[in-house]
Order: sequence, then C-alpha cells, then structure tokens
Amino acid sequence: MRRFFALILVGIILLTSHLAQAEVKIFACEPEWEALAKEIGGKNVKTFSATHAKQDPHHIRARPSLISKARNANIIFCSGADLEIGWLPILLQKASSSVQPGEIGYLMAADYVPILEKLSQVDRSMGDVHPKGNAHVHLNPHNILLVAKELTRRLKIIDEPNNNFYQAQLDNFLSRWGTAISNWEKNDFSAKKLKLVVHHKSFSYLFDWLNIKAVASLEPKPGIAPTTKYLQSLLINLKHKPANLIVRTPYEPSDASEWLSDKLKIRAIVLPYTINGDKESDNLFKLFDRTVSLLQEVNYD
Amino acid sequence: MIKKHLSGYVILILLFSSNHAMSASDKDINTLRSEIQNMKQLYEGKIAELESKLDKVKENQDKSIAITNSTGKRKALGKTFNPSIGLILNGKYNQFSSGSSEIAGFAVGHEGERSREGFTVDHTEFNFSASIDDKFFGSITSAIAEHEGKTETELEEAFIQTLPGFGLPNGMSIKAGRAFWTLGYLNEHHSHTDDFADRPLPYRIFLNEGYNDDGVQISYVLPTDLYVEVGAGGFRGDDFPFGSAAETGIGAWSAFGRVGGDISNNQSWRLGASIVSGEADGSRTSNEDLLTYTGDTDLYVADVRYTYAPTGNGREKELILQGEYFSREEDGIYADSEASTGNVIFDNSSSGWYGQAVYKFNPRWRLGARYSQMNPANVPSGLVGSMLDANGHDPKAYSVMVDWTNSEFSRVRFQYNQEELTEGIDDSQFTIQYVMSFGAHAAHKY
Repeated sequence: MRRFFALILVGIILLTSHLAQAEVKIFACEPEWEALAKEIGGKNVKTFSATHAKQDPHHIRARPSLISKARNANIIFCSGADLEIGWLPILLQKASSSVQPGEIGYLMAADYVPILEKLSQVDRSMGDVHPKGNAHVHLNPHNILLVAKELTRRLKIIDEPNNNFYQAQLDNFLSRWGTAISNWEKNDFSAKKLKLVVHHKSFSYLFDWLNIKAVASLEPKPGIAPTTKYLQSLLINLKHKPANLIVRTPYEPSDASEWLSDKLKIRAIVLPYTINGDKESDNLFKLFDRTVSLLQEVNYD
Repeated sequence: MIKKHLSGYVILILLFSSNHAMSASDKDINTLRSEIQNMKQLYEGKIAELESKLDKVKENQDKSIAITNSTGKRKALGKTFNPSIGLILNGKYNQFSSGSSEIAGFAVGHEGERSREGFTVDHTEFNFSASIDDKFFGSITSAIAEHEGKTETELEEAFIQTLPGFGLPNGMSIKAGRAFWTLGYLNEHHSHTDDFADRPLPYRIFLNEGYNDDGVQISYVLPTDLYVEVGAGGFRGDDFPFGSAAETGIGAWSAFGRVGGDISNNQSWRLGASIVSGEADGSRTSNEDLLTYTGDTDLYVADVRYTYAPTGNGREKELILQGEYFSREEDGIYADSEASTGNVIFDNSSSGWYGQAVYKFNPRWRLGARYSQMNPANVPSGLVGSMLDANGHDPKAYSVMVDWTNSEFSRVRFQYNQEELTEGIDDSQFTIQYVMSFGAHAAHKY
C-alpha cells in the first residue's frame, strides 16, 4: 500500500514538473472552437475537443476523460449561451480557478457575438429553449472573426512571452478569413427561393448570414424529438407552403428527414455543421466552402 | 456593399499597376505584384475587421460583459439564478404478489424495505444550490416522504464545497456537511437519476439506500491525462451501516480511488474502489427495531461503469453497463429481540453484487435488465433461527424495466421484479413510476 502511494506521489511530481513547461492547453467544447484555437494558437497551444461531429453538444456525459482534460486546461473554450449547461458545470467544479466563469481562461463564444432568437419569456413547455438565445453561433463567419480576436486577446495575456506570435497568427488568419468571406458572399441566395426545413435550430446563424429562410423545423419544440403525429401535421402544412430542401446536422437522426423527403419528393441533405461533419470539412475554411457549395447546388438546381 | 466597391478599386489599382509596371524588369513586377497582393489581403482583412467592429458596437449597446478578475464577486456556477431551485416529483403504483418481503440473513433498515403497495408518492425532493461566493458552493436537498402514515421531512443533503477559487491545489476540493458521499457508483447519485425504480439489493441492505452521514470529504483529481481521482473522508458514524454515534469524534472514515477514460470515440468507462469503515458505539437498530448490532463494520465496494454510443450521439442510442460488488465485515454483537437470542458475538463477512444493462434504442425509449444477489454470513450458533439466519438461502432479485423519456425533465417507467429474498417466498412485483423535475436541474454526473 505504502509503495503504491509513493508511486502516485512520484507520478504527480513528474507530471507537475512536466506541466510547467508545456504549451497553453485549450479545452474546446466543440470541434469548431478547437479548429479556431489551432488557427490562432498554432504550435504554442495543445487543443482538445470534448465532442466530435457525430455528437449532439447539448447532450454529452461529463465523462471521466473530460474531467481530467478540463482539470488540466488553461482555457475552456465553448459556445456558451447554455449550450453546454448539461455537462460543463460538472467539469468546471474540478477545473482550475483560472478557467471559472468570469476569469481569463473561460471563453464563451456567445458572449462576443450578436445573439439570435433571444427570448424574453421562457417556459419549459416551449421545449428545451434557453433565454440566452440560440447558441449555435459559429456558422456565421463574421462571428468567427469576433471570437478569434477575443481568443487572441486572452492568449496574449495567458502566454505573454508569445504575445507577438499570437498577433501575427491573428493578422494572418484575419486576412485569409476576410478573403474567404468575400468569396462566400459572392453566392447570392436571396434572389433564389431556397426554403428549408431544419431538424433543430442549429443553422440559424448560417441562414441569417446568407439570407436563407427556414420555413419549418422537424422538432415540434426545440430539443423535443420529432413525433409521428407532429410530422403528419407538418406534412400537411408543407403542402400549402412548399419547401425545397431538408437539412440536418451529422448528429441528428436521419429517419424524420428521410421520411419527409420521401413524402414531399424534395431532397434531404446533411450539412457538415462542424469540423469533420463530412470528409471534406476538415478545417474552418473547408467547412464553410462545403456548406455554401452544398446549398448552392440546390439553389441553382 | 462597401466591400464590393472596395474590391473593385483594388482590381483597378491592380490593373493600373500592372500596366504601369510594363516597362520595369520582371523582378520589379513580381515585387509589385506581391505588394499589391498584400495590400489586397490587408484591405479585405481590414474591411472585415471594421464590419465586425460595427457589429460588436451594436451588440454592446444592449449588453455589457465584464471580464474581471475581481475577487469577492458572486459568481454563479453555470447557473444564471442564485440560488437555483429544483423540485423532483416522484410517484409510483406498486403491486406485489407476496404479503411479506423479509430479506433473509440481513439486518435491513427502514429505507431498504420494499416500497408501499398501491399508489404512493415516493420521495418528493427539494433542492436549493448556489455558489455562495467565489470560494464556496452550497447545496441543500430535503425530501418529503411518508413513513407509517406520518409525513416526514428528511434532510438528505446539506453541504458546502470549496470552489476552485478557494485556492486549494488544482483539482482538489473539500466537501463538508451531510451529503451522499463518494462510495461505489450509485451512492453519490440521487435516486431520481437511477435507471430502475428501486435500488439494487446491496444498496438496500448494506447502505439503507444510500450513505449520507455527517462529515467531511476531500478529493483530488490528478493532473494526468487519464482520469484518476482519489479521496478520503471522515464522518460521524451515524448513518447505516453504522449505528448511532455514542460519543463525539470521528466514528467512520472512507477512502476511494477512481480511474476512467475513453476507448476510441464513442465508448467510455470508469472503475472505482472504495472503503468505508466505522463502528457503532451506540447500537444500530434495524428490522423494525427488532435487531440490534453494536460493533465495527468495514464495507469494501468495487464499481464499474461503461457507456457506448453506437452512432456517436448518445442521445439517440446508448448502451450502459454497470455493476458493483460489496463485501462487508462485521465484528461486534448482534441481538434479535424477537427470537430472544440475547447478545451474541458475531465476527463474519457477507457480500452482495448487482449487474445491469440499459439500452436506449430510441431517443425516448430505454430497456433495462438487472440482477442482484446477496451472500449472507454464516451465523454463529447463538443466532440460529434468528433473522440473521438465512437457512442457506441467497437472496436474489431479477428486474426488467422499460422507460419513456419525454424530455430530460420527465420520465415514466414500467418495471417488473422477481424477488426471491427468503427461502420459499417468491415475490412478483409490478411498478409504474413517474419522475419529473422542474425548476433548475443540475447537470448529471457520469
């Protein structure tokens, strides 16, 4: 027994000494923020994403691996606006004091961008809605810019010696991202009649940016899984008010959208939604390239 | 709009520059080109920057966010309201085939007995919790339950816990007061989060549903990549499996260790080992006050949990396997007043375990099966024929359940139990249960 404890002690000492010289550790709640952290932090950061594209970021277990990753993180970088309310608080309880709400290492993207769908009155009968508004903020590339700047500001404070490095990384990113935005914005969606049915309100920021209209949602209420009864009534409604595309995220089940697609004879597609949401979308630039081109395909059909 | 104009200018400049540079050397042309390229990128970057600044200014008009490092400020731990208030409504309808449900060979506390037959409002829980300031978190859970026709309020939990802002080393936390302490898997969870309508046999028998003594516990998450958490506690020794503490001081202590991690993308696991040890200086009464025990109790627990989300998204489909093994050593004196055994010296061990599988095959529906079994101690001659004499029978229970979850706040469950707790008595139990919550709903542990 005594030997076992001695072994643990030695382990702790070794690891702590190792930690002192390590890079800035960024714990991202979602893959898009991990990708952004890599863009800005480059070789000076070590990133980890708590979720992958096939996981619904609302519903994650505060599993053991996340506790240890969050505990060792210098920055906790998430969407915020209560998206991670079901699991992040547990991780924070065991994390360091510098990543607690209000501290320098606690970065919630939703705090730095204009929020859509804010509700003044919330009741649970409305489904799983949050008074803070829609948290899926990353699909408007202008939001990425805003968050990139805030992340850089934080990195410059946390890792002061590399101040210039982060500024250069940001400048480089801003110029490439700015160019990319103007390219994406050459696609005009407003003229054409793209009318979408979404699964959950996961794409509101994308549609707001591109001037696309979502006419219906497969979920009867946010966070409430589609029911047969609701889908039947949706089908009737959509016959009067036609839609021409159904979109969902890679983590949302396909059955409801496939069923509706079959009944309405319109296409149902998966938009990548986040990094590695499909095999093409392996960084932020390609995520938007791919998303815009998938929508464009239908728009000019 | 502005942007399109500007990019037009950039192109004009570009054209002009390239014409102008015709007469220059190739090297000059290249230099100019790259400069223009740089200018262009800079422009577009700046424009985007300006646009976003504009957005930000607009945003800031109706919102003020302050990132401060000031201490002494009240900070909510993931909650907007302070305090957060939550209520759990829990009701059941039970039907049993057997009139009695004695558990052979064990001292069983009140909470460990089977639930009441017919309609019953089980524990109705009230929870208040909040960050007290930047250094402490506090939580109170009380339950209103009915016992033999009387409505009782039980203080299930009332604890404070240090927040990371307290200044302990990273990953370390101290909890004091009354709480469902870290022991095995289920103990620190409130029963409304359980996957079955009742607790498995070892919890009912060894812990009277759960160990929530008064005391203090320290825990530490190691700075390793693999999750490793160790901890220890000191308690009054006033709650099952211990008796009433006769004197002041620490009557019981505990220690635990846990490791856990992920296997590829969609599986995770956790293994734990714990011990809780103490003495009943005063006596512990059980079995409707007919059985008393005075002495030392050591309880060892090993627990394992594994989750697997076949599609990656655990909300859609998920398999959860869970099991715990208990071993208890008792060294003291038992007395069964019904069998008039008098005081009998007892130094023996008993054990119990359960294993369960729950499969979510649809976002709303889950199926589960559980098996629990107990192995009673061999009784000394003085206790033959007493309640502790199981007559060679190992109590066991089979359970199957199906539950429907409308949202994370409401769940309805159907459960069937086949309990063989005493030689020759088989009890078929059918339960319909609802568990609903409103108000704040704390994030769930793994």
